[in-house]
Amino acid sequence: MAISGLGPHGERAAPPDRIALTREDIAEAREAKFKVAVVLHTLASDWSRQQIAGIAGTLGDCSTVVVDVVDCGFQNENQIAALERLAHQKPDAIISIPVGNTAVADAHRHLARAGVRLILLDNVPTGLLPGTDYAALVSADNFGLGQIGAELLSPYVSESGKVGILAYGVDFFAANERELAFVKWMQKNRRDVALETLRFDSFQNAGIAARRMVEQSPDLAGLFVVWDQPAMAAVAALEAAGVDIPVTTVDLGRDAATNLARGGMVKGIGAQQPYLQGIAIAQATILSLLGRNTPNWIALPGLTVTQANVVESFQTVWRAPAPKEIVTPSMP
Amino acid sequence: MVLKASGEPRSDDARDDSPRRGKGRPRTTDGATQSLAAILELVRQGAASTRQEIERESELGRAIVADRLATLTALGLVDESELGTASGGRAPRLVRFREQAARVLVATLDQTAIGIGLADLSGRLLMEHHEAMDLALGPAAVLDRLCAVFDWVLEKHLDGSTVWGIGISAPGPVPIADDSRFPAQTPAFLPAWDAFPFVESLIARYESPVWLRSSVETMTMGELKAGAGANLQNMLFIKVGKRIGAGIVFEGRLYRGAQGAAGLIGQLPVHAGGQGGTIETLAGSDYIEREGIAAASVGKSAYLADIVRRGGEITAIEVGQAAQMGDAAGMEIMSRAGHLLGHSVATLANMLNPALIVLSGSIVQTNDILLAAVRETVYGESHPMVTRDLRILRSQLGSSAGLVGAAMVVVDGLFDHATLRGWILNGSPLRHPEFAEAMTNAGRRTQAMGGGSETEPGNSRGAPDGARLS
Repeated sequence: MAISGLGPHGERAAPPDRIALTREDIAEAREAKFKVAVVLHTLASDWSRQQIAGIAGTLGDCSTVVVDVVDCGFQNENQIAALERLAHQKPDAIISIPVGNTAVADAHRHLARAGVRLILLDNVPTGLLPGTDYAALVSADNFGLGQIGAELLSPYVSESGKVGILAYGVDFFAANERELAFVKWMQKNRRDVALETLRFDSFQNAGIAARRMVEQSPDLAGLFVVWDQPAMAAVAALEAAGVDIPVTTVDLGRDAATNLARGGMVKGIGAQQPYLQGIAIAQATILSLLGRNTPNWIALPGLTVTQANVVESFQTVWRAPAPKEIVTPSMP
Repeated sequence: MVLKASGEPRSDDARDDSPRRGKGRPRTTDGATQSLAAILELVRQGAASTRQEIERESELGRAIVADRLATLTALGLVDESELGTASGGRAPRLVRFREQAARVLVATLDQTAIGIGLADLSGRLLMEHHEAMDLALGPAAVLDRLCAVFDWVLEKHLDGSTVWGIGISAPGPVPIADDSRFPAQTPAFLPAWDAFPFVESLIARYESPVWLRSSVETMTMGELKAGAGANLQNMLFIKVGKRIGAGIVFEGRLYRGAQGAAGLIGQLPVHAGGQGGTIETLAGSDYIEREGIAAASVGKSAYLADIVRRGGEITAIEVGQAAQMGDAAGMEIMSRAGHLLGHSVATLANMLNPALIVLSGSIVQTNDILLAAVRETVYGESHPMVTRDLRILRSQLGSSAGLVGAAMVVVDGLFDHATLRGWILNGSPLRHPEFAEAMTNAGRRTQAMGGGSETEPGNSRGAPDGARLS
């Protein structure tokens, strides 16, 4: 599947095959016994758990030790403190998902300049440059995921309907790409649809935002939320308010997948492949530590998930059988 | 913002071009304009950062400096809230240019992609976004998309600030057609875009001046101000891709030539292995790609053949990476292209005697062989004095150079000495009398040509279509 988006500096995406490890790479890495730390925005999401599984497994195959896994709780200050602490510990490399933009740029830049190899996941703070400040970025095709969200919502929206977008208020590459792509798709393919955007600064507030949106626009015909956790917060809030509108989102978290399977408000999902992304970023880390070239941006395509294919998609994304409530869901 | 009679700021809405007097205001408008502009430029360029340094550099008296700094502070252009390091006595107050006083919108237009960014008044990017876009769709479609993303950027990132200018990087040379302070007419920069009011539409929609430059020119400016060329007076920038072009910095300024065509070196003739052609056809990315595909198909390159076997595509980037990995065929291709390029660059270096040559483009960014070959040729074919302290580096900014440089073009335009004197008493270049004239002309031309963006203007500044929930 083709990659629709461009990288944070306009790069064309390289597929993960380009960073496959050879037997020699693995042998060399095993000799070196590298140490790697992982700094994530949160450890409390299904997406993060899948990423860590992919990272730890692949690094383990290369005898590379994961010395620390940090949960930043979506907070810039937590991430800056963690990076400062890790700079003293000097692991060979750090895999990080920057939780903000310019606010966390310097903390990442200092780390790279202190000689720690930096590999980024999903987000690049503006001003950080590949080759100089970081080795590579690995992410999903977030622009493509936004397009999938629009494509899946469109059939549920009647002529001249109104569609809401719950977007992330924080400046974050992946969320920006999804929002821009959703709007672009609608403006190109559904010029009749009116779009309304509301931003939330933390996913816990997404439910309040959803309520506010339907209060402002009682005729809302559909809703796109930029990832699954706020989407499920929005679904819960709307259900409590007795509102039933089609929702599409990104990321096949367990709750969103269950809602989709049982015919709830979630009508479609653009799914990332976090486990494969975890493998890809671990491979990029090893290659970078071995002094090999890595592409600036490695991207994995998104999967289109509907009620019809949610079980097999779950298996693909989670690398595990789908739970009972997804395989044989009780309909609402 | 301009000043009330009391010396306090007036709202931006109250447009008035006449300088007003108030507390701390200069008595002689001309003299005040000169000294305000001089002090602001000393601070903005980093030549002075304390009152004592300003007095020394500007040769103005203490009272005048104090008065002008009060005015500049009230206008929101400088800030004196930080203390410097004490050297014996009391720590001096640092005088800083307020880079966040306004914002600059920037965009790069490529044949297959557009890039959009927002920068502060130092040219530092605050955000950037790139997406695929076929320029062949025509000017109306490109303008529409550009405006849609600009509107999104302003809605999400402007935070109550004001846009003072827009910088656009174009895929080809931009002729110098309008030498006014605030150009209000689209130059004939793309053949299929003739008679389309591109610049005029942007001016009318965003009520900001617009500067258009070629991609090589903006990348040169980016590298000069924020990359390897920071603070240099003479620099040569070479962009290597499908097209090959040069940007020339002469005595600290971008040299554009009589028509805006300086540095179009792609058609320079070169000869290699009994073959003659232009530098673009024998050293550009199309040539490298073609040679790489040939090397893979005849079994000369195991690395490139492996990419084909895995279903991958060979472009110049892959050839560069093959060279970097020690693939003999890849190294030979990159080395040949680098030596040919080096001949042309050496000629320019001997003529211009730059302190720095920066090579840019994704082929250069991904491997060292081409850079090494250029270095070898330039050092071998130049006068010893030319190469005595000459550095040849790859770009420090990569593909962000165009956006950073477009912002720097705008900042240079806004703070050009003569332009600055025209607006400093009013606190904003948007109140420069000549910009008001440019706005009128742009509006008139847009209407007359019946063109512009299909989307309704006016939703970009002050009327965001989104809301924020904290």
